[in-house]
Amino acid sequence: MSKQSEQKTVSEKMDELSALVAWFEGDEFELEQALETYGKAEKLAAEIEQDLTSLKNEITVLKEKFDA
Amino acid sequence: MASDQTPKFSVSDFIAALNQSLEYSFGTVEIEGEVASFKVNQGKWVFFDIKDATGSVNCFMSLFQLRVPVEDGMKVVVRAVPKVTAWGKFSLTIQSIRPSGEGSLKKSFELLKAKLDKEGLFSPERKRSLPEIPEHIAVISSTSAAGYADFVKILNDRWGGLKVDVAHVQVQGDGAPEQIIRAISYFNSQEIIPEVLVIIRGGGSADDLAAFNDEPLVRAIAASRIPTLVGVGHEVDVSLADMVADVRAATPSNAAQIVVPDRSELIKMLGHLVRRVLVRTEGAVDDNLRETTAKLRQGLAMFDTRVDLLQSQLVTSRQVMGAYNPRAVLSRGYAIVRGKVVSGGVIRIEQQERIITAEVKDVEAI
Repeated sequence: MSKQSEQKTVSEKMDELSALVAWFEGDEFELEQALETYGKAEKLAAEIEQDLTSLKNEITVLKEKFDA
Repeated sequence: MASDQTPKFSVSDFIAALNQSLEYSFGTVEIEGEVASFKVNQGKWVFFDIKDATGSVNCFMSLFQLRVPVEDGMKVVVRAVPKVTAWGKFSLTIQSIRPSGEGSLKKSFELLKAKLDKEGLFSPERKRSLPEIPEHIAVISSTSAAGYADFVKILNDRWGGLKVDVAHVQVQGDGAPEQIIRAISYFNSQEIIPEVLVIIRGGGSADDLAAFNDEPLVRAIAASRIPTLVGVGHEVDVSLADMVADVRAATPSNAAQIVVPDRSELIKMLGHLVRRVLVRTEGAVDDNLRETTAKLRQGLAMFDTRVDLLQSQLVTSRQVMGAYNPRAVLSRGYAIVRGKVVSGGVIRIEQQERIITAEVKDVEAI
């Protein structure tokens, strides 16, 4: 089963967006599907932007000691 | 003559007592001097003298403890335990040795660089690329150092959603290389390894940064199965750790700039991508419209041509029909004669406006 959109990482979403853009620029482009695909691309771009602005880094200093 | 209080020893006991006194008085010492008569025996043991203008002491160590190249004439600081051997010979048992002074540091750096270069450790073919958008990275640094704070600040400014595991280690001094090696080994032995291993340290003196020219450390970075990014010192500082890393950063801040993209740049790029797709769609609609219009025009033009042709054919047909119309012949003064054209026969002569009935008087051939 494919991942839900909200479970995907930014990197996966970026890959998906790149694939959509590639479809628009490739030979498989069809005007009939363009409107729906454009809607998907626009939504995905908005999601990525939201992720980028809201996500925080999770920094963990390890408890392991390396001095011995 | 010796009194009764004069201590008496066996030779072995005397040596043991001497060593006990030395240990009590000095423990471990650091001595700075110049290396002389440096040699390696059986590929295992290192012997040399450390001397200054007026004194000289024998030194002994195992080869695996020698972490930097040393040669005669080099100024070094040794960390050692003074000891008298079972044969009564005084020597220093070396725990660590490091070049001292700019000249020796440079010499040691160049010697090790040449050795590792010969082995191909700095070869561009060995360099691996870093992931464009990592999700999990490891950082090896001193968390109390300014360089680490710079790295974290830039990292948080540029990107979010990243899992960062930090190994706090000593980044200068004798213990630093071993601690960094242990941290490298730790991350490489994890079941799920990070995508990038970042090793950072802020600026410092050549002596402070010397840990990053340690041979075992340089080899550990080269052997890491996790791609490495090393940012040590300032832009002008070059360490062997930098050179062996998959990617070199000029500073810890630069390491943060390299390891993650800038979210604001990416957001700009997203807008650009969506616009590109829109332009493509609009272009396709325009193309389609143009194509449809052109086809309609072409159809219309063909229809017009066909109508013209039919009209022209109609005119021609009408002209032909007109030419064959007997009435048209009558209009030009001719007449149609019906009946028996024999002498005495009755004929009907049809002209444009009248029909005449007449009797034939004579028929003569022309």
